[in-house]
Amino acid sequence: MRSRFALWVTALLCAVPAFGQDRGLLKLPAFAGLEEKASETVQVNVDSKLLGLACRFLSSEEPDERAAQKFCTSLTGVYVRQFTFDSDYAYPKSDIDGIRRQLLSPGWSQIVNARSRKENTDVTVYILVDGGKAKSLAIIASEPREFTIVNVIGNIDLDQLHDLEGNFGVPKLEIETGKKPAASPVPAPAPAPKPAPKKN
Amino acid sequence: MSEDIEIQLRRALRPVEPSAGFAERVMRALPERAPRPALAPVTVLRPAPRAGLWRTLSAPSALAASLVVAVMLGQHVGEQVGREQTEREQRAGLAARAELMQALRITSRKLDLAYQAVNRPAPAPPPAEENRS
Repeated sequence: MRSRFALWVTALLCAVPAFGQDRGLLKLPAFAGLEEKASETVQVNVDSKLLGLACRFLSSEEPDERAAQKFCTSLTGVYVRQFTFDSDYAYPKSDIDGIRRQLLSPGWSQIVNARSRKENTDVTVYILVDGGKAKSLAIIASEPREFTIVNVIGNIDLDQLHDLEGNFGVPKLEIETGKKPAASPVPAPAPAPKPAPKKN
Repeated sequence: MSEDIEIQLRRALRPVEPSAGFAERVMRALPERAPRPALAPVTVLRPAPRAGLWRTLSAPSALAASLVVAVMLGQHVGEQVGREQTEREQRAGLAARAELMQALRITSRKLDLAYQAVNRPAPAPPPAEENRS
């Protein structure tokens, strides 16, 4: 009886760190069928070990690498799947839905959902918050001919992510408060003209 | 019978004194030879007998030499292995860096896409009532 209890405790102790490590890590499907259909495929799997190695080789002379250096060590994994097709919507939506279901689990919050009917693009940004800190970031972007999933795991400092955005030529996206974008460095579009006051 | 043979043999082989002047006669009978030229004294240098390598290098010194060779060889092999490992690590590091930067660029592009979609100007409002009338 006592030995069985000890076994359970040991199993639990082993499971807790593993759970912590996997938290925020999405189970990305194999997408075996998509690879054959896609004209271009990008699959990036940078785990904590590779990240440590990659961080050591980042150059501080390149602006984008310098920006990446700042937060690189706090990350534990970066995973990307991107498929580009020659025809529109050649990928099954079920693959995306499966990933979206994972993002419904507790802790994950959808902070941006940008959909353009004109360009048929749909970008959703999710963040996993644990203890008041962002622990994982997920982006699902579907375009007519491209389908992208990004999963960045680790202690994500949103300010540093902003630095990254700036350095990579991406304007700042206010993702802490979600929903509304911050005042952008790019000149904002002119506000729509107010309707003229009604004349009596 | 056998004794007789023995006695006869001894008698036949007994030492006999040469007759007087035997030596002179023999010397006269020999052909005359040219006198030998005087030979210059030749010094023959023979290589000193080589002692065996094992004798020259005594066992401790041979052992020391072996150790030095072993250490040098080990050092060389170690350096080689270290260099190869560093090169391998560098290749892996550069590949990992390229992958990471590619992932971050894709992340940025997608965030940019989200930004553009969020910041897209709102559709124009419906025309004012005054214009309608």
